[in-house]
Amino acid sequence: MTRFRYWQDRSNLELAREAGLAAMADAGVTLGDVDEAWVGYMAPQPMLGVRVMKEFGLTGLPVNHVENASATGLAAFREAVWAVSTGRCRVAMAIGFDKMSEMAARSRGGRGVGRDSIDGVILPAAYFALWAMRRMHERGTKAEHFAKIAAKNWNHGRMNPLADRQSVDEITVEAVLASPMIAEPLTAMMACPVDDGAACVIVAHPDVVRERQPGRARVHVRSSVLRSETYAPGHTFVGPVVGPATMTRDTAHLAYEAAGIGPEDVDLALCHDAFANEELEYYELLGFAEEGGAERLVESGATQLGGSIPFNTDGGLIARGHPGGPTGLAMIHELTLQLRGEAGPRQVADARIGLTHLVGGGSVCTVSLLEREGG
Amino acid sequence: METTAKPSAPEAPIRIPIEPGFFTIPEQLGDSPRLLGSRCDGCGEVFFPRRVVCAKCLATSLADCELGPRGRLYTFTWVHVPMFGGGRSDANGYGVGQIDLDEGPRVQSVLSGERDEFSIGMALELGLETLRRTEAGEDVVIFRFAPAQADA
Repeated sequence: MTRFRYWQDRSNLELAREAGLAAMADAGVTLGDVDEAWVGYMAPQPMLGVRVMKEFGLTGLPVNHVENASATGLAAFREAVWAVSTGRCRVAMAIGFDKMSEMAARSRGGRGVGRDSIDGVILPAAYFALWAMRRMHERGTKAEHFAKIAAKNWNHGRMNPLADRQSVDEITVEAVLASPMIAEPLTAMMACPVDDGAACVIVAHPDVVRERQPGRARVHVRSSVLRSETYAPGHTFVGPVVGPATMTRDTAHLAYEAAGIGPEDVDLALCHDAFANEELEYYELLGFAEEGGAERLVESGATQLGGSIPFNTDGGLIARGHPGGPTGLAMIHELTLQLRGEAGPRQVADARIGLTHLVGGGSVCTVSLLEREGG
Repeated sequence: METTAKPSAPEAPIRIPIEPGFFTIPEQLGDSPRLLGSRCDGCGEVFFPRRVVCAKCLATSLADCELGPRGRLYTFTWVHVPMFGGGRSDANGYGVGQIDLDEGPRVQSVLSGERDEFSIGMALELGLETLRRTEAGEDVVIFRFAPAQADA
C-alpha cells in the first residue's frame, strides 16, 4: 500500500501502480500469474479500473469493478477470496485506490447536496453523531469515552509510517475534546481525515503461496462475509443511511460461524472508525463486550496496543486514514503484517487471528477473519 | 397619513415541493403538512416514503397513506460546520434528527429551531420551510420538524 495522505501531485494510476507492484513483489508474482482482478474505487469514473490494471501489463485477464462505499476494498477482497476458494482462480488480485481530496472538492457546490434536499448528503459526521447521541441517552456514555478511543487510534498511528496522521507528540483525551466541534458530540479529532492512496492484496491458493514464498508465515482467510441491511422497524429510507447497528452483529455472527471460531479466539481487530463512537459500538456488535459493556472496555484500556484485544493497531481510519476504495485493503495489509509478526513497534504479541470490519454507506457491512497458518 | 388607493393585497404565493411525492402542502399557510407513505395490505407495516414492494414481507399490494404530523425525537445532533456542498455556514449550526412518527416509520429530517429547544423523546410536529422563490413567483418548500405546540 501507499501511505495514505493528501497526494496533491499523484494520480490514481500512479498510486495504484505503486501499491500493486509492491503487493505482487511481496507475493512473488507478476500479472502473468494473476487469473482475475477486482478493482475497487468510489471515484465516479467508469472504466478506471481497467485502465489502472494496464499499468501492470496487458495479459487479457478478467477485470471487475467493485464499489461499496467505504466497504469497497473489503468487498473486492471478498470476491478475490471466493474466486480462489472455489477453485476458479489460483491467484486473484484485489486492488483499491481513491483520491477523496478530489471527491470532497467536487462535492462542494454540487446540485442536490446539502441539507436543503429530501435525500441529500448531510455531513457524514452528522449521521454517526445521531448514533452517539442516542448511545449517550441510553447508556450514559460520555464524550470522554469517544475521545479516549480517538486518542488511542491517533497514538497507534504514531507507530505506523504509512499512516496519514503521525503526530510527533502523544495525543491526549483533552486535546481530542478541545478540537472544534463538528456534529455534537463529535469533534474534529474524533473523525477520520480526507485521504488519497492505494492498496493491493494478492490472494492465492496455498500451493502457490508455499511455492512462491517458502519458509514464510502464511495468512489464511478463515471467512469473508458481506451483507446488506435486513429490514427492522425504525429503518430510515430517506437521507444518508449508515444502516442499523444490528447489521454488524449479523455479519460478524456469520463470519464467526463460517470460520468455526468466536470473538474469544481473536487477537486483534480493525474496524470502521470513521468516527470514534462507531468503534465503541462495534466492541459490542463484534462480540468483544456484552451489551452495555463497551464503556467499561474503553475505560479498561483493553483495546489499546498491549491490551487484551487491541483495536485499530495501525491507527484505524482516524489516523492511518480513509481514502475510500483502498481502506479495506490497507486493513488486510495491517493484519498480514501482524499475523506474520512483521508489524514492528506496534506488533501484537503472538497474534494468531485477526478480524477486519467495515461498513459502507447505503448500507453494507463486511467482516473477514484471518489466521496465521500453523503456529 | 395620506394613502393612495392600494391595489388589492397580492395572493399568497403558490407553494411547490422541492421534490414531488414526499409530502402534502396544505392550502392554509399555518396548517401542518403530511408525509406520503405506504401501508402494506399483507403485514400492515407502514413506510415512508411510498413503496411498491413491502420491505418486510415482500408483498406488492400496498396502499397510499398520509403520515404525521406528530412524532417523537428518537435521536438528534447539532451540526456546527458548513454542510457538504451547500457552501453556507449557519452561524449557530443546525439540527438533524430522527423522528419516530406516531404511525411507526422513522424519518430523518433537519430540525427547525434552536439547539436548546431539543431533547431526545420530545414531541415534534411537521412543518414546511420556504427555501427560495422561483422566477415564476412560486415558493419552493421542504418539510422540517419543530417542537410541537404544548396544546397540540
